[in-house]
Amino acid sequence: MTSRWISGCQGLYRRVSRAFPHEFRMVCGDGLERLGEDLAPLIWREQGALGLIRLFTDIALRLPVEYVTAWVNTTKEATMADDLFEGTWKANHAKSAWDPKFRPEQACLRFEATETGYLLVAYGVKDGQVCAERPNAIPTDGRRRPLVDLNGRPIPGVPPGAMVIGSRPDPYTLEGKVEVDGKSLSGGIYRVSEDGQTLTVTTEGMGLKGPFKVVAVFDRVAPDPYLPTS
Amino acid sequence: MPRKAPEKFLPLKSNWLHILLSLVEGEQHGYSIMQDVLERSDGKVRLWPATLYGSLKRLIQEGLIVESGERPAPELDDARRRYYKVTPLGRRVLDLESERLREIVRVLQAKRKLEA
Repeated sequence: MTSRWISGCQGLYRRVSRAFPHEFRMVCGDGLERLGEDLAPLIWREQGALGLIRLFTDIALRLPVEYVTAWVNTTKEATMADDLFEGTWKANHAKSAWDPKFRPEQACLRFEATETGYLLVAYGVKDGQVCAERPNAIPTDGRRRPLVDLNGRPIPGVPPGAMVIGSRPDPYTLEGKVEVDGKSLSGGIYRVSEDGQTLTVTTEGMGLKGPFKVVAVFDRVAPDPYLPTS
Repeated sequence: MPRKAPEKFLPLKSNWLHILLSLVEGEQHGYSIMQDVLERSDGKVRLWPATLYGSLKRLIQEGLIVESGERPAPELDDARRRYYKVTPLGRRVLDLESERLREIVRVLQAKRKLEA
């Protein structure tokens, strides 16, 4: 009887946990529901019904707080000035220091803001051939994620188990790095000038063709060719 | 999200202080943070799960902690868990908070001496 009662409580806790906003679940994953499920039998043994009431009061009070926080964040984003990174950038070879192995004839970057950071698309001309990298997610929320393509598939040349982590230490800077088994494989810093017209990308690490270091300067393409003109 | 200066976090919220204190010795998952806080406070402070995860989320967003990619030895690891560790900014904030608390204690002791 008791075990059925506890199972019911665990199921209810799981359902309430899953009702938390997407923003919360993106950061905390299923940690809350797992902890609540693990804790329910312990709390029942230690504190009885009063403990379970406190366990559910805690989650019932937190749920609306998280929805209000998510709503405030969405409102802030909607009223924010234009994003500093978003848009299309074209390489300025005169100001850049490319690694000879990676020097393209033309290079463009396109940043699009996402819920967790940015989507980066790199394309251009190398060795006379038009080429494009697979779109890359640059997280800025401090969370560590497996480095896979946008469909969740492995990226050719990326070692298995590679993780990507990124942050935005200030409004003008994005930092990201790729780690394998806790060791840094490569890292990049994207810095926009104060006037928002120049982007300096510094990347360093180990690539398919060996170690590399690139300092590439990009100028903003205005008007953005990907935005409707009217 | 732009990072605040370490001083801007002071005085540190009680829950944040407890969580950072738990993580200062090494990486921990949610359940072990909760147990650590409970033991350290002689059972007086229990961070209930939703409060704990709400605080962990805010600490991650503020850059004071990050989710850790390193896992303990397989025999000690619980694959379901996410581990968290304190960042250099988190350590700096914790240092500043401990200095602030030390100063409060120093002022209190000086006043007591004057009373005596």
